[in-house]
Amino acid sequence: MLIQDNLILTRSDPTGNGGTQFIYRVKDYGLAAVSRPQEEIAMIHWEVEIVKFSGENTTSFEICHTTELATKTLKFYTDKSLNEFLEKSFQYFEELGSLEKMLPQEP
Amino acid sequence: MANVVGSSVCRTAVDEGKPADWVPGGEKQTVVDPMKMFHELPREKQFITGSEAARESMRRANIDIAIAYPITPQSESMQQAGYLYDEGYIKEYYRAEEEIGTFSAISGASRAGVRSLTATSGPGLMRGLEAVSSWPGARTPIIMLNMCRVINTPLAIQPDNIEMSFLLNTGILMLHAENQQDFYDYPLAAIMASEQVDVTLPAVVSTDGFFVTHARGPVSITPEEYKLPPRDGWRSAVPAMDNENPPARLSRDAPIQKSNFISYHMHSSWQQEVFAAVERSAKYFRAYLGGLVEVVNPGAEDFIIASGCAVSQAREAVRQEGEKGRTVGLVKIKTIRPFPTEEIFEAVKGAKRILVPEFNQAGWLHKEVCSVLYGRTTGVIKNGPRVYGGMTMPTEMILEWLADFRKEVK
Repeated sequence: MLIQDNLILTRSDPTGNGGTQFIYRVKDYGLAAVSRPQEEIAMIHWEVEIVKFSGENTTSFEICHTTELATKTLKFYTDKSLNEFLEKSFQYFEELGSLEKMLPQEP
Repeated sequence: MANVVGSSVCRTAVDEGKPADWVPGGEKQTVVDPMKMFHELPREKQFITGSEAARESMRRANIDIAIAYPITPQSESMQQAGYLYDEGYIKEYYRAEEEIGTFSAISGASRAGVRSLTATSGPGLMRGLEAVSSWPGARTPIIMLNMCRVINTPLAIQPDNIEMSFLLNTGILMLHAENQQDFYDYPLAAIMASEQVDVTLPAVVSTDGFFVTHARGPVSITPEEYKLPPRDGWRSAVPAMDNENPPARLSRDAPIQKSNFISYHMHSSWQQEVFAAVERSAKYFRAYLGGLVEVVNPGAEDFIIASGCAVSQAREAVRQEGEKGRTVGLVKIKTIRPFPTEEIFEAVKGAKRILVPEFNQAGWLHKEVCSVLYGRTTGVIKNGPRVYGGMTMPTEMILEWLADFRKEVK
């Protein structure tokens, strides 16, 4: 199982391809991790996007490829490796959130 | 082939390479009351495929014999069943030659009074349908897992549940699993309902292939040291054959099979009894599954009625509409047979607009819904969205249909 900290939504993959999507949020950033069906089940893996939220709704986010964590869609083949990445990401998002608050805000 | 102590067949577990002191996994389990298994035992959450969920369900189902012929996407589950046989949770298991043979053989096993399981997918179901349609009249409580798949030409192995429409009027109990969790829970409930004295019917648990069977999802499962009570072949509407004391009577009631006036009447009443037994099963499913339907947002003006994977997509559409401040209701149909007529009516009697999204071309669920709501509600029932041949149904598709529906029906 994936870790449950900061998990704000578990849902059927909304693309309709089958599988399950987990959405995590820390401040204004987060991750969308989806596990889709594969004909060869040994090939089932996680596809992970770093996302940036623009509102309070669980689905008001856009894919973000401009952080130091990832500049593309990431793949993880085990829950363990994804869990390690999640923990690292949560810490990064906390720091990123604090840094962004220090930046001058647009009027 | 046998791994059961005292089996009448010649090969033993030792012949199969097991140590002399090997104890089958099933013999280490404790029988538990079904209601306790369904509602009271602690559950552990796992993230597993639908095929693995089926395996865990079979592990706890106290199955005497499994017979199947491989077909995609069913093969994965029955490979898992093979592991259970090796571990001693399924007492007998073999691969038949094809589906007519499979479904005929499993019928014989069930007539002999043992808990019998088979599984198939789309074209395999079509091939064996003659045998399947004979199960209810023979009053054989078989459990069949059906991983839905395209049946039409051109060939495809993707999800499409048109095959379920061919089972609607056979007299078989039908459940439609939404997700991996249901594919764990429903077979256990179906087994217990199908073996009740006043039911004694086969049951099929269908799910949409690949989307469920070959994808991982969260499943809460009970401890593996507990299993369902065994089948009692004598506690049924039609007693089991006694194969140890031949000659066994193969026909359920010989006079029915003669061509005369009396036989027609007897056959007619026999069929009536089968379909009455389908309705009697409802009380067991209500107890085991907590109802024949799940209703989200009762009292809404807009409703979605769905079964299987379409429920998952509808559920997300309902959730997204809720975040936008719009209330949409959802009826998840768990049992297709018995069909939850009154539950559906009660849920949607105040609705203005009713959508029926489906993963098939024919819209069989829409027809079922219309047939039970005709003349009873003022709501408009719309037949869609429908996808088939392996197409996906994105949540956006349901949301667009809802938006258009609101413009059409004010």
